[in-house]
Amino acid sequence: MPSPLWGEGAGERHDGCLYMPWIQNRYFRYILSRFLQAIPLIFVILVINFFLIHASPGDPVDILVGLTDADPKVLQELRREFGLDQSLLVQLGIYMKKLIQFDLGYSMRYRQAVFDLILSRLPATLLLMGVALALASFLGIFLGVLAAQRPYGWIDNTSTFMALAGYSMPLFWLGQILLLIFALKLDLLPAQGMVSLRAPSEGWGRVFDIMKHLILPAVTYSSYFLALVFRMTRVKMQEVLAQDFILTAHAKGVSGRQVVYKHALRNAMIPIVTIIGYNFGFMIAGSVLTETVFAWPGLGRLMFDAIMARDYPVLLGIFFIISIIVILVNAMTDIVYVIIDPRVVYD
Amino acid sequence: MLKKLLGNLGILILVGLMGFDTSTLQGANPQSGGTLIIGLEGEPATATAHLATDTAALMVASNLFNGLIGCDMNFNPTSDLAESWSISSDGLTYTFNMVKNAKWHDGKPVTAEDAEYSFNEIIAKVHPRGDTWWPTVESAKAVDKYTFVIKLKSPYSPLLTILSNILVSGSLVMPKHVYQGTDPRTNPANLSPIGSGPFKFKQWAKGSHIELIRNENYFKKGLPYLDRVIFQVTPDAAGRLMAFEKGELDFLHWYIVPHEQVARLRKDPRFKIVEKGGESSATNELLLFNHRSPYLKDQRVRQAIAYALDRNDIQNKCLFAEGKVAKSHINSGVSGFYTDKFDYKRDIKKANQLLDAAGYPMGPDGKRFVLRDFWSTGRPYESRASEIIRDQLKAVGIEVKIESFDRLTFVDRVFKKWDFDMAHQLFTTGPDPMISVTPRYHTNQIKKVAFTNGMGYSNPEVDRLFDTEYKVTDMEKRRQMWIKIQEILMRDLPALPLFEIPIVNAVSAKFNDVITRPYGYIQSREEAYLVK
Repeated sequence: MPSPLWGEGAGERHDGCLYMPWIQNRYFRYILSRFLQAIPLIFVILVINFFLIHASPGDPVDILVGLTDADPKVLQELRREFGLDQSLLVQLGIYMKKLIQFDLGYSMRYRQAVFDLILSRLPATLLLMGVALALASFLGIFLGVLAAQRPYGWIDNTSTFMALAGYSMPLFWLGQILLLIFALKLDLLPAQGMVSLRAPSEGWGRVFDIMKHLILPAVTYSSYFLALVFRMTRVKMQEVLAQDFILTAHAKGVSGRQVVYKHALRNAMIPIVTIIGYNFGFMIAGSVLTETVFAWPGLGRLMFDAIMARDYPVLLGIFFIISIIVILVNAMTDIVYVIIDPRVVYD
Repeated sequence: MLKKLLGNLGILILVGLMGFDTSTLQGANPQSGGTLIIGLEGEPATATAHLATDTAALMVASNLFNGLIGCDMNFNPTSDLAESWSISSDGLTYTFNMVKNAKWHDGKPVTAEDAEYSFNEIIAKVHPRGDTWWPTVESAKAVDKYTFVIKLKSPYSPLLTILSNILVSGSLVMPKHVYQGTDPRTNPANLSPIGSGPFKFKQWAKGSHIELIRNENYFKKGLPYLDRVIFQVTPDAAGRLMAFEKGELDFLHWYIVPHEQVARLRKDPRFKIVEKGGESSATNELLLFNHRSPYLKDQRVRQAIAYALDRNDIQNKCLFAEGKVAKSHINSGVSGFYTDKFDYKRDIKKANQLLDAAGYPMGPDGKRFVLRDFWSTGRPYESRASEIIRDQLKAVGIEVKIESFDRLTFVDRVFKKWDFDMAHQLFTTGPDPMISVTPRYHTNQIKKVAFTNGMGYSNPEVDRLFDTEYKVTDMEKRRQMWIKIQEILMRDLPALPLFEIPIVNAVSAKFNDVITRPYGYIQSREEAYLVK
């Protein structure tokens, strides 16, 4: 019986081999090959990070006992428990051995499996990032296209000013200003967290509640990237709109809207997609600030707390997951190139 | 003499009140219901108290578990799981009679065996600060189902104070049936605890909040009043304050209320600034002096710095006039022991004379030498203090170079590597100075452990006093010994007390009795109620 998970036609063939048509898919094979190529890179990232975070001063067991003048015997016992009494190379060896078995280790601070910890925080960050990225991309492209059509018109001037502001304002400062205006003064939106704790809701009520909590962090988070996407779209669209084939399209009687969105935008999209894909990694870094200001329970804050507590396994686990996500996003960006521009071919 | 005093002590048999202390509820008519939402500055590592001593973890744990005893605002012991207690005439045997109606959240009875297990297997072996007082204990045993006896090796007068304060002792009673035969550090119950306290654990949404619900079978009749207590993790100080003002949070404890906002909050009828609940910690901000520094090893240089600084100006600017100058190594809130007799008044002339006498004449450029001043991020008043100190010490020719670090790097530089000249650090000084002052300045505390004697201060005279005072059961005699200790410490200046951290808790006016104890910021909220 075909498995819905693997798609139409999947299942066991008459010769007993597992038939998985998605393996034949060229996009999938491309992502897989990129991923396999990236394994040595992930290894290098982890080794460098391992030594970097261990080189930073500070003893994680001090945090484990709550920053107190703890009994040295207790501290020694904790070091032994978490293998911190071993040499760095031995610790690295143990970590890598576990990693090969897909075991990300055990958080010293939370005394929980790192994978479970990351998994519990990842959805909140993905939701925030997804919404912010969508907002930045769609609004940035839309405003960029509008601005490029009438350079130095009021839409262009206003958007350019806003983009400049969004680009230059520190995220935490913008977040606090938005909180002050929309949460405190106007009392329109909640200030902290992802859900209302005083009056918890269920079902659709909960969805709306999360959406309400999401607005300010998402707007803050997207501001920098919206500015980037807007600037890039505006410049590229101006370039493309000045080219001969656009004139030809107009001469052929193609409507203005079609010329802009079908002919010009498609040609301007490659660098825009590059900017969006390239900045994905930076977005994860930005999540630390946004999640802190809005008490959003995501991965960025887990990372920040892990840095402050020198929770090495959690930090390495997050670096590992982020590396994989960034590599996947870059591979997907390459595939989007092909979809946008059929002239792009990968060997 | 000591024998006579011990004999007098034998007559003094302390009997706790049945039930709980109702004095705080006089004139009020509390009713059940309501949700109290408490803002936390960081996510607790655990919801139990035997693994960590951070404020966030203790704030949660105190609602889930009970100690043997607590104490009232005057530091008199009050009943908790022990309904009464007595001390033998020789001051060596403490007998606790436990309540018979207390139950764990899973329905099993709380007995003296749980106390025996908690003290011997958890506090003695796992708790980070167990070594501060446990070595004085000879044995801790359940003599029958509801009688628990602690025998001491020698008289130890702060014992009841220590037991009543979970921050210093961690003496919460844990369920033996849940922990026995397991490693108490990794037991899954640490993340979804089973306690005996007024609230039961409901959920821990990682990174977001911890929710506790009312324990309907709590052994203290009529308590608790609240339906739910929620601890929300709010790491950003500005966001946290806005959530409080907006009514999303109901309580911010004294360590996280921004001092510059207190005057404004005080005027707002929606809020109350509760100026109690930190007395048992009695926290002072100090400027630590590294006695290994070629300059600071000279007592005259340390005294010159004390004379050169206008600490009133420092506290005014750092705490926005909410605090006061710390005039001794004990906080003025520790009333039984404190004296301000040995304080320094600003005297630039004297400071210059001392520095000249120490052999550091003023150079033609107006400078004598350079000192580094360290502070760690997260406490804005320390940043301000270091800048003011830099300006004020210029007047006596000391150039100050300020460096700031994250907390763990700071601990590493100051307490582990001893690589600093001056450093800003909070030290608690209560509820009994033996617990909090002695571990900072005793010679045997010069060890590479956080918050010990990183200054490298050593004075055999003060060590002798530290080693004997806690065995003295005559309070007046003990007080005199502590006055002598303060005299020596203020003369030697292992550190200069800068200011006392003001106890300013911010509470929503919708709630009463959120704070009723001298350890109010980490106390159980069993007495708190919603004003209807």
